[in-house]
Amino acid sequence: MAIKRDAYEILKGIVGEEYISDDPAICEAYRAGPGGYECALGYERVMTKIPGAVILPKTTEEVQKIVKVCNKYKIPFVPYSTGFYGPRSHCHVEGELLIDLKRMDHFEMDEKHLYVVVGPGVIYSQIQAEALKKGLHAIVGGGGSQVSAIANLLGDGWSPLSFRAGLPQRRILGTELVLPDGELLLLGSLALSDDPFWGEGIGPDLRGILRGYTGVRGCLGIVTKMAIKLFPFQPEPLVPIGISPNTALKLPVGRVKWINYQLPSREAMIKAMYEIGKAEIAGCVTRVPLFWRTLAKAESKEEFWELWGKESEETIKNSFIIRILLVGYTSEEQLKYDENVLTDIMTELGGIQRPTKPTDESWFKGADSAGMWLMCGSYVSVDYVVESISHAVLHGESFAKLKEKYTPPLMPDYGDPGWIQSFELGHTGYSEFLVYWDQDEDVKSVDHFYVETSKMNIRERFYTALLGPHQPLFLTGPRYGPNYHEWLLKIKNEFDPHWVCHPPLPLAHDQFVEKAPWMKEIKDWESPPRLPLPDEWK
Amino acid sequence: MVKKDEVQKPKRKQFSLDVSDLENFVYDMSRCVKCKGCKWVDHIFIEGINYSIRCPSSLWKPYDAYGAFGKMRIGIALYEKRLEWTEKLLEILYACTLCGACDVGCKRNLDLEIGLALESLRIKAVREGAAPLPAHREVISNVLKTHNRFGLKNEGRENLQASLRFKKDRSILYFVGCLSSFHEFHIPEALCKVLMESGWGFEFLDEEWCCGNVIYSLGMIEEAKKIAERNVELIRSKKANVLLVSCAECYRMWKVDYPKILGLSTDELGFRVTHFIELAFDLLKEGYFRPRRKIERKVAYHDSCSVSRLCDPWVKWSGTRGWMGITDPPIKRRRGIFGLYLQARTILSSIPGLKLVELPRTRENALCCGAGRGTKEAFPEFSDFVVKERIKEVKDSGAEMLVSSCPWCKIHFRGALSDGGIDVLDISEVLALSL
Repeated sequence: MAIKRDAYEILKGIVGEEYISDDPAICEAYRAGPGGYECALGYERVMTKIPGAVILPKTTEEVQKIVKVCNKYKIPFVPYSTGFYGPRSHCHVEGELLIDLKRMDHFEMDEKHLYVVVGPGVIYSQIQAEALKKGLHAIVGGGGSQVSAIANLLGDGWSPLSFRAGLPQRRILGTELVLPDGELLLLGSLALSDDPFWGEGIGPDLRGILRGYTGVRGCLGIVTKMAIKLFPFQPEPLVPIGISPNTALKLPVGRVKWINYQLPSREAMIKAMYEIGKAEIAGCVTRVPLFWRTLAKAESKEEFWELWGKESEETIKNSFIIRILLVGYTSEEQLKYDENVLTDIMTELGGIQRPTKPTDESWFKGADSAGMWLMCGSYVSVDYVVESISHAVLHGESFAKLKEKYTPPLMPDYGDPGWIQSFELGHTGYSEFLVYWDQDEDVKSVDHFYVETSKMNIRERFYTALLGPHQPLFLTGPRYGPNYHEWLLKIKNEFDPHWVCHPPLPLAHDQFVEKAPWMKEIKDWESPPRLPLPDEWK
Repeated sequence: MVKKDEVQKPKRKQFSLDVSDLENFVYDMSRCVKCKGCKWVDHIFIEGINYSIRCPSSLWKPYDAYGAFGKMRIGIALYEKRLEWTEKLLEILYACTLCGACDVGCKRNLDLEIGLALESLRIKAVREGAAPLPAHREVISNVLKTHNRFGLKNEGRENLQASLRFKKDRSILYFVGCLSSFHEFHIPEALCKVLMESGWGFEFLDEEWCCGNVIYSLGMIEEAKKIAERNVELIRSKKANVLLVSCAECYRMWKVDYPKILGLSTDELGFRVTHFIELAFDLLKEGYFRPRRKIERKVAYHDSCSVSRLCDPWVKWSGTRGWMGITDPPIKRRRGIFGLYLQARTILSSIPGLKLVELPRTRENALCCGAGRGTKEAFPEFSDFVVKERIKEVKDSGAEMLVSSCPWCKIHFRGALSDGGIDVLDISEVLALSL
């Protein structure tokens, strides 16, 4: 469905003819699926649409004007930077305007005060490359180097380097937000001056609304500029080597080193994660799913399955490998000290060192994250938890148990408990559970599994991140809060009274359950007979 | 616990890498995850905020449609007949140099056949009467009627051949290419000088025809096949061991696209296709010649797409795809690792006084010059935009000389650098100057 002609002409006047289009081929390219994060599942097929038009603003002022036109003409809109997050970052209703922000590639660095200021068109690898030139580093989130740093920090942003650098929401400093009605809101120190160096501003910290645990997926406005925290690093260069696909950063071994340890038991693995945190050594401590290790060894999909076929429930059950990054931030001596402490911890716990390469392709420039799709073709992380390390481990194990029922069509991973990490020097633990499938299979049960994970979290009292726009709000809201769904809807109504900003979020998953006939059989929670959102988006 | 054997289903689909049928690439188009590995320089090699995009079309127009990630979605829509051919759609498909940056970018992580899908989409456009574009008519007519890109009398090639001094050796046939036969004479002259110095010889073809690169690139596979059959048969009849070329486009056409079109593997051609830089590298390594004259200049090497990421040998393949997309027999992916990156750099580094500077976008991450595959004829503004972007990068590097291994890159750069300041040469010319 096209955008109203008179509104289209006004929008054209804002950005110029070159940067707006409703051509069918241009719009088709912004389809969410069939490939991609969470794509080829029911949510993508039922809930997403191609845009009515696409517009590419260059400045914050242009974004404000566009949003005001959308409010005047009741045109739904969605902000879009790289589109990597899958269906939830794509259009959901007919005649929606997709605001593609990739031309907003503003970049400046304040190396003295350790931050960059970027627009939503800037990706992590660009920031990281600039930071490394100055002896600093940024944290590249799990989404990989190819994602918009702003978009990633609004919803995810966790990395093994959160062990020392802390949680992603704290890396958001001064921020410029165009509200759903087009007004400009400045957060952090930007509220008081032109200097965005500080994340906290006067009054309540509105980053809680902007992001909270995992964000609202673009339904509360458009961030047009953000200052992002950088961190001091060691001075030696990380040298790019190889020819694609075998490229990596060569690490200066006296300063940066990955070490893998095999622990004898689950308890020893948890204890090691705590002890490393207590000793305040290392740059990260992470337990990766075993299939990632296999993936890193395989040259192709076929080789992966050949290697993975040799694993079994027994080998997975006894795989307690943690990967530790040591960084001599201050000196080579510091790295040696860290390594000695690590050796002491591991000796005490019976850890055996396993071979590692003196290179990195995952965490400084996150170049291999798209490889997640190589094995099966389809992938989504169904949950994240940031609580204690013990909680994280339990969470992963519970997921693995629940997943059995849905395998197939999910990839056989023999009970692997997922990705578990120590954050904030062991004060918090992280669990992420990833599932893979072949989209040519009947995957309705994957849609079921996705929602059943929420029920499991409620039942087993896990502190899940995937609430709000990621799951049915009326399933999770009353159980986490107990009324956070009411608060979220009040905030939505207050800031976006016409619900023009990416409707029907945050009620999209509720609507999906209503629209997809195969979801009825698992709907056992209360929700209003009519979802509380404007009729035009129902 | 579910065992692997229990979930592996006997779902197997027969397919091949035949570009004349888009259905062969539906799997690849449907698995694009919008990671944009096709657009960005390999993240390991990104140097900062500037020069981080390697897809010329994405640089030119920022809409998703112009990147391979958008074209894959458009490709699915065309396959499912949800889109009609329009001028805009043809611009999206043809304002693209098929430079392979997207293909090797995708194969960094995902192994999808992006490049073949793009070629297949053009073949579909031609078969459905939407292409070639009016702007391509002249060059098509020239190649098909006069057997060269310029519509000149093809016998004119003999003028160059008669003017060159070279040693005769029938085991090596030199395929000069249209541009060097009719305009860029300095390249074959330089090649002759290097080979004479090395004591090596070659023979010209009696009747050289255009390799048909532009014909294939536009999607005219039937016409391209006829040219390929004629040319390959001619070389086979001469019983030469080596076909020597000095044009990157000819190199890729002979080494990769001819076998692809003819249903062969590269090693089934019956002769070896060698670019001048491969031969010069071998001769240098084995001491047949030694650059002596100093050239005190800073030089940037531009990796022409067809001697770098696009020149992995073609391996014909047909088989099945089953559960989780596993192919049987496993497809040996062409990831651009056999590019002549080392050869060119070794040659330039051997020249006394010459200082090689690497561009930010280099080797498999290089930005195409913007001249190739029919773009200059149909979308000159795109072509100009891309070459200017590449020149900006060269100027920022401080290079005084820009060298490539393809006459088409050379003339495109020279045209855009007509204000002087940076010399543009073919690698054979630089080498000849050093002897």
